[in-house]
Amino acid sequence: MRTVEDIEIRFPGSLAEALAWQADEKTRGRPLAGGTDLMVQWESGVAAIPERAVSLWGLKELKGIRETPRGIEIGAMTTHTELRSSPLVREKLPALAAAAATVGGRQIQNRGTIAGNVANASPAGDLAPTLLITDGLATAASASGRRDIPLAKLFTGYRKLDVRADELLVSFTLPALPAGAREKFHKIGTRAAQAISKVMGACRVRVQNGTIVSLAVSLGSVAPVPVRLPELEQWIAGRRVDLNLLEEVERRASAEVHPIDDIRSTATYRKWVSGRLVRALLEA
Amino acid sequence: MSTVKRTWVVNGERWTVDLPPGRRLLDALRNDLGLKGTKEGCGEGECGACTVLLNGEPVTSCLIAAGQVPDGAEIMTVEGLEKTEGGRILQEAYIERGAAQCGFCIPGMIMSSFALLSKTRTPDDAEIREAHAGNICRCTGYEKIIEAVKLAANRWPEK
Repeated sequence: MRTVEDIEIRFPGSLAEALAWQADEKTRGRPLAGGTDLMVQWESGVAAIPERAVSLWGLKELKGIRETPRGIEIGAMTTHTELRSSPLVREKLPALAAAAATVGGRQIQNRGTIAGNVANASPAGDLAPTLLITDGLATAASASGRRDIPLAKLFTGYRKLDVRADELLVSFTLPALPAGAREKFHKIGTRAAQAISKVMGACRVRVQNGTIVSLAVSLGSVAPVPVRLPELEQWIAGRRVDLNLLEEVERRASAEVHPIDDIRSTATYRKWVSGRLVRALLEA
Repeated sequence: MSTVKRTWVVNGERWTVDLPPGRRLLDALRNDLGLKGTKEGCGEGECGACTVLLNGEPVTSCLIAAGQVPDGAEIMTVEGLEKTEGGRILQEAYIERGAAQCGFCIPGMIMSSFALLSKTRTPDDAEIREAHAGNICRCTGYEKIIEAVKLAANRWPEK
């Protein structure tokens, strides 16, 4: 039986070299970041052992967090530890910083990357909802150029992304929290630490004089892909925050999602807790 | 099968290995280097028994392809503890507080303790718990481990 030791892992010296390999089917390899998902999938037999992998871990071009006119740009190989400890991310993308701090323990946070979490495209990926609420974009590169993909269109199906085989995710550009808005992330798991989520979600909300100006809310693990709740978002704009509103939010959020039963939870529980979770996100 | 050559500093000593790049760091440490102190628990990054420090940061060595650990990387395993003052203090504190029962989780657990105290001199309870959240112990209920870390924090060397 083939094992991880049979994978020909290649180590490009630059992003350009990696992209050149990925352009040709004969040299293309499975993109490998920190390995916290892929090594588990390969070792447990959940995913087939590939012929080749391309290690992106050490590529300098894929590291770093910086502010740009379009938003906070985060390199693909930025780790969860870097996300949770970056002053820029903590201030301007607080839900992302909070989510990164709940993924695994320190050991996983030190190796798991933002692009790895996204590219794994698990419905239970904790970072995705915090990215979706920013209306930001992902950038994919290939040997022939770069392409921006709105995050709303990135996740196309269960473990599927709108990224071609010759492309690599290189960065995420996420508009910063606007003045007067706040963000929150919350996750429901079996235990407080080191849990894979049953349901998780994030919101970015702007409230003025007790009235909701705008809401972006996203949930994970309630569908094959992380979702926004457009019906709730549209309905809530312009409404006053009070107990009645929160009751109605809970009902509507629960009604808008259609989760399934799986090893981590049941559809019934997920539907119920989705309502509770969105309500909790809105409660200041 | 093609192999890659890597030179690491493990517990202060230079080691050069020639291995399949996908070999788990855990296997490289235990089998290529003969450092059997690091244990395999779940093999899926959940339990933390295989925790080692890579450039001072805790990582689960069962999930790292050894080829991804670059030349010059500094690795510290449980065998390296006794070579440092902080490590000896931690070992004594774990013994004094009875922090180990079956002991299987301890080679990983104590590396998380070392990583924490190397950065945070006076961690509070929440910080200690969070720093060890990636290490599962099925015997102690964690209380004695937390007490041991607190005791070691009190005795930690000035620099």
